[in-house]
Amino acid sequence: MKINKKIINKIEGEATLKIEGDKKIDFVQIEFWQYHGIEEYLKNKNYMDALVINPRVCGICGHSHLHATVKVIEKVFKAKISKKAQIFREVTSLLEIVENHIKWFYITIYPTQIKDKEYLFKAVKFSSKISKAIAILAGQFPHNSYMVPGGVTCDPTYMEIMRLKDLIKEIKEEYIKEIMDENLTSHDLERFFENLPKDIGKSLNKFLVLGESNIFKSNGDYKNVKEERNKSLSKNALYNNEYYEVGPLARMIINKNKNIKKIYDIYSDSIYTRMCARIYEPLLLLDYIEQKLSEVDLCEPSFLKPNVRNGKAIVAVEAPRGSLIHEISIKNEKIDYYNIVVPTQFNLASSTKENPSPAQAALMNEDIAYVDSVFRCFDICAVCMSH
Amino acid sequence: MNEATLQKVKERIEALKKLPGMGEKSVSKMLEDSGFTRRDFLKWSAAMAAMLSLPTSFTPLIAEAAEVSDRLPVIWLNMAECTGCSESLIRSDAPTIDNLIFNYINLQYHDTIMAAAGWQAEENLKEGMEKFKGRYILCVEGGIPTNMDGQYLTMGPHAETGLELLTRAANDAAAVISVGTCSSFGGIQAAAPNPTGAKGVYQVINKPVINVPGCPPSAKNIVGTILYVILFGALPAVDNFNRPKFAYGLRIHDLCERRGHFDAGEFVEQFGDAGAENGFCLYKVGCKGPYTFNNCSRERFNQHTSWPVQAGHGCIGCSEPDFWDSMAPYEEPLANKKYDSPLADATADSYGVTILTVAGVAIAAHAALSAIKNPKE
Repeated sequence: MKINKKIINKIEGEATLKIEGDKKIDFVQIEFWQYHGIEEYLKNKNYMDALVINPRVCGICGHSHLHATVKVIEKVFKAKISKKAQIFREVTSLLEIVENHIKWFYITIYPTQIKDKEYLFKAVKFSSKISKAIAILAGQFPHNSYMVPGGVTCDPTYMEIMRLKDLIKEIKEEYIKEIMDENLTSHDLERFFENLPKDIGKSLNKFLVLGESNIFKSNGDYKNVKEERNKSLSKNALYNNEYYEVGPLARMIINKNKNIKKIYDIYSDSIYTRMCARIYEPLLLLDYIEQKLSEVDLCEPSFLKPNVRNGKAIVAVEAPRGSLIHEISIKNEKIDYYNIVVPTQFNLASSTKENPSPAQAALMNEDIAYVDSVFRCFDICAVCMSH
Repeated sequence: MNEATLQKVKERIEALKKLPGMGEKSVSKMLEDSGFTRRDFLKWSAAMAAMLSLPTSFTPLIAEAAEVSDRLPVIWLNMAECTGCSESLIRSDAPTIDNLIFNYINLQYHDTIMAAAGWQAEENLKEGMEKFKGRYILCVEGGIPTNMDGQYLTMGPHAETGLELLTRAANDAAAVISVGTCSSFGGIQAAAPNPTGAKGVYQVINKPVINVPGCPPSAKNIVGTILYVILFGALPAVDNFNRPKFAYGLRIHDLCERRGHFDAGEFVEQFGDAGAENGFCLYKVGCKGPYTFNNCSRERFNQHTSWPVQAGHGCIGCSEPDFWDSMAPYEEPLANKKYDSPLADATADSYGVTILTVAGVAIAAHAALSAIKNPKE
């Protein structure tokens, strides 16, 4: 059988697809040929160092890694944090998700159908504003370390919270006007599908949300996740020995979002539903952020000192691309063991033809011409994958 | 800055003007279309001149340099990295004049933000390197794995290693700029135990390299360095780690907004205490500002919004070589450093073994001597 080799780049790194089949894709293997070894550097370092090192897994979603790191350390210490710190963490993490979705839409997947630099500028305009909002609380974006076990380091004034609220309002209004409104009408999305069928890229139709958060319900226990080596330098992630799709579509389906359900009923878990879910999610998140910011009590402490303990813990958070799992073991203030499972390991695992991963299943039996668009609709991140 | 320098720069810009431009429309037109006035553009040029430590008389020249910036193509390679530097770059100053200029610069190849993909992208890279041989500016993001002949990082359809691609691209480049701490000094990949043998660009190629470290560096420093190269056709003045002096000439501490509290002896003793609420100095919770050369305290991040120290977390020293090992633990002052990083341990262990061996030899020698001496008694 002829095997086509295709390089998928512009995914913060690159992936190699080995495609079997001439016109229709019979089977595809997904390979990542980069290796960082972040977990190796963490060994024997002070537990606090993980807060600075882990965001460097990925410059795009580093904030989610920071959030997971701080939560896993707090779980070991049985630490408590104030409601104020909790809200700030949630706000900046969710803003990162909003920003990621916009960049993925206009920079990663859009150019596979529409070659127009204007859309790059559009993404940049939004992402600059959103990072500014994150920077008000966190200092900078990407790569800040304002979350520490016990709370956050920032202590904003009313003035800053006002500026933040104002900025969020502006972002939301512009989002509704220029990207997608509450009725899911999106001019840009329809333009993307001008020459692309909406019902391609159907996958496993099995969804998983593991993250502990106030806004998304979870439907599984992250203790059942297992990692497995594949033929390249990446690892597959399985839940109860099966493959599941994680990410915004999973979050919408598990949380029974009515708007996305309507589209899902027509197109099932196709590329169109997946993209709709991802572009619609920021609207829900921005609403939630606005509501949370109105609940902030600035008189609360930012930080409550935790007691350092030895022990092990594991947590999951919802990152832009799906459920992100961090696991730690601390002995005498030092890291004994650290393990990270990223969402891309679930979606882009490279398995067998009989038991394919979500991305493999979505690509199989599709026309080879659509491979770029279908592959990218999972929002791949190669640097996370090669952590 | 004397008349001769000014003249030299003018001549250079004239020479660049004669080369064919790559942009579809002129910079002025493009800025106008994006809603900026000529006045905004000149304001930006003045700010850029100030940042590059040039006299104000250079402002019109900066504007001119920006206008001919598309004559010098830029090739941007991504090695072992997290894309944080590109992220920093694409969200430079709102309303992103830096950014517009950067996109207007003839960016032949950038793995993340170019429009082309797959084989087409490979073609562009090849074409860019041939067509603009000896003229292009090479920007590198990410460390270079060298263990196992660089096999920890392979790219493209021919599985070329990062090391091979870099060597090839650097050979024909007019200037090589390392963007970020990873490409400057190896970065997180090169932290102990450095499993992939990652190194900085200057350690693996035989060419002068200008380092723009930071994790990530601010967009101003990246764009500033590129503009400097265009303006003068040469690399800017650098310190002993090859960092441009205009950005890395002063310590974070020198212009820090919390500096007054340091001088007054007012410190945050632990996160969340009264000192933290009052914005006191972060030295005692690990700020590495006094040891770090960079302009964060002056230029800040995300459209001059904030920077880590403003948000209450100390500087981690991210623009210094080997900061991953030498500045850890990041939340404790360097002065209490317990030498407990894995690297320090390794060093201490090897010294220990050496000292013990020397001692062992000495004891053996002493015993032997005593053995010889004893019978005489």
